[in-house]
Amino acid sequence: MTEVNGQTVKQDEARKAILSSIRAHLATSAPFDADWREHHGYASEGVAVWEPIRMAMSSAALAHVFCANLESVGGHCTVVADETEAAKQVGKIIDQLDPRRIAISNSELIGRLVERNAAVEIVENAHAEYLFDCDLGVTSAQWAIAETGTLVLESDRESHRLTSLVPPVHLCVLRAADIRQTLGEILELASRDLSRTVTFITGASRTSDIELTLAIGVHGPGELHVIVIAD
Amino acid sequence: MHLTSETFDQNARDALRDPVLHGALRNLADNFVERRRAAIASVDDWEGLREKARVIKEQTLCHLDRYLLQFVENAEKAGVKFHWARDGKEACGIVLNLLKKRGAKHVVKSKSMATEEIHLNAALEAEGIEPVETDLGEWIIQLAGETPSHIVVPAIHKTKAQIADLFVDKVGIEKTDDVDVLTRTARNILRQRFAEAEVGISGVNFGVAETGTIVILENEGNIRLTTGLPKTHIAVMGIEKIIPKFADLDVFLKLLPRSGTGQRLTAYQSIITGVKRNVTDEGPDEIHIVLMDNGRSRMLAHPVTRQSLACIRCGACLNACPVYQQVGGHAYGSVYPGPIGAVITPQLIGISKAKQLPYASSLCGACREVCPVKIDIPELLLHLRAEITDGTAGGAESNPQRKRKFTESLAFRMYGFAWSGPVSYGLGIKAARLMQKLVVRDGRIGKVSGFVAKLLPPLGAWTAWRDAPAVAERSFREQWRDGLGNNSQWSVVSGQ
Repeated sequence: MTEVNGQTVKQDEARKAILSSIRAHLATSAPFDADWREHHGYASEGVAVWEPIRMAMSSAALAHVFCANLESVGGHCTVVADETEAAKQVGKIIDQLDPRRIAISNSELIGRLVERNAAVEIVENAHAEYLFDCDLGVTSAQWAIAETGTLVLESDRESHRLTSLVPPVHLCVLRAADIRQTLGEILELASRDLSRTVTFITGASRTSDIELTLAIGVHGPGELHVIVIAD
Repeated sequence: MHLTSETFDQNARDALRDPVLHGALRNLADNFVERRRAAIASVDDWEGLREKARVIKEQTLCHLDRYLLQFVENAEKAGVKFHWARDGKEACGIVLNLLKKRGAKHVVKSKSMATEEIHLNAALEAEGIEPVETDLGEWIIQLAGETPSHIVVPAIHKTKAQIADLFVDKVGIEKTDDVDVLTRTARNILRQRFAEAEVGISGVNFGVAETGTIVILENEGNIRLTTGLPKTHIAVMGIEKIIPKFADLDVFLKLLPRSGTGQRLTAYQSIITGVKRNVTDEGPDEIHIVLMDNGRSRMLAHPVTRQSLACIRCGACLNACPVYQQVGGHAYGSVYPGPIGAVITPQLIGISKAKQLPYASSLCGACREVCPVKIDIPELLLHLRAEITDGTAGGAESNPQRKRKFTESLAFRMYGFAWSGPVSYGLGIKAARLMQKLVVRDGRIGKVSGFVAKLLPPLGAWTAWRDAPAVAERSFREQWRDGLGNNSQWSVVSGQ
């Protein structure tokens, strides 16, 4: 509903007009519907059976499939045994990138894994303006999809919408136990307590808008590193 | 200069003479068709998936009023504000009003066919607000002052050399042929625009009735920035974007990226259910959804035309279409080109303004084969052609085809008589051989004009677009009767 009075009235009019137009036109169509469905061989009450195939897989196998699919879209993936190993791997990636400023999300896991030292400035839950000056964003992910190599970020459980997006490199830490095989399973899990924003991330930001030539890192991160903790 | 749908024939002829366009279109066909083929192989039962999508869309459209209200109710509960727009003008007015009330000067936009359809940018510019397109392809054509020529890759008609020249001219970079440099240029300039934007405007791919969720797909990250950074997010969506259940996303998120770009999933999906709960949360303070009819509810009036509303804007039919592959998107004179454009445009803008579009097809059926929601586009094209020739479409304007009714039916009656028996057939052939002398050139019946066309208008209309082979000087039957059957070659065969 719009704020101004005149607008509200007009809005109500528009809503009623659209709904009655929908109903009137559907009624016009009704006498033709049965013949048309018969002509195409469509069942009148559509019953389409389609179910994705799922195989029972261990979390180690799922981690393996996830990494392979993530790497096929240009992501970098490492599986580590535990948090101690994960912290070492985080340190290694930070050393390689040599960032001036790192943005981290409010995840407790990430807080534990990123080592504080004087050489690098680390900002937790940074403001948007500040994020534009960060060289690396570190977040965790709530779930992952093995069949597509996709990270799933739920906004109600962590503030990572912009940290995973604005800096040119995104480093994400994930537990193997949170990997599922299919998109369908993840949709089911996410819908149980639907976050205000659920973001799926599959690889680095990309475009083919110029002569269909692939270019990486157009608006989002040009590099995506994922560390999977196996335990 | 922007082309119109009314002049498709001339637009297409001009496009056929453009070698640059042909190179780009060949690249598109080679790339996307192959990528799609590889991507759909990763689904166990692609046909089952398509059928499921078709059924979901058909059932939703048959109860669209109910699902729309459910969608609105659930999204309102989550704090979204709704605005209903009967047409494009109303939709533009609503967006403009929202921007003015917020005193917004800086507006970023992500790619949206719905806003292209209603020419939102022009409406905002007329009021002194400059919306910045942030999708790389859309930004390129905005800089060039052009319109998109493809639903998924809007600047497909431009070469990188042309884009480089454009960037040299408009944003003052050094001339380059490096796509990465061009892309980085766009990134750096648009980052500024994102940082200062007060409002972000996006489209919507799917609206989930069960949860009031909107889902938007992309590869670049500009949609995440548009919907995540500014204080206000405005989404413009057609009323047909609704799907009933959250679980239905499983079907459509498998179909759309594979059909559109040949990816298993695009880089990002934003699945947004309402506004943030606490002030300290990330995301915009307010979300507005403009629900737009603009000619859509009309399409519900017949099961054939209703299919048009199942379209998920993947662009697969464009890539597969032999006509699109030759003439490109601009010839259609509409934001929706290709086979789906040829059926949607006449229904949206009125068939009298796009009479040539339903004929911009050879009815080969390639579009129907690739359509992820199984829209029978050839059936729709024929339906619209029938409306044009019956004069049931386009209101009371004069319809030249109508006047031909008498001669046309006479011609068909003569044709029917000629084929009714061997004697009449022989007579018919003799008559045709005599009469065709007026029109045959080099053994073919080409474009018939002048007094013959006046005499037999259908012949003029038919031959305007296609040649017909002439009736042979001597028919096979005549040759057979004169001894072809006694030829030794044939005797051997028949003797066995």
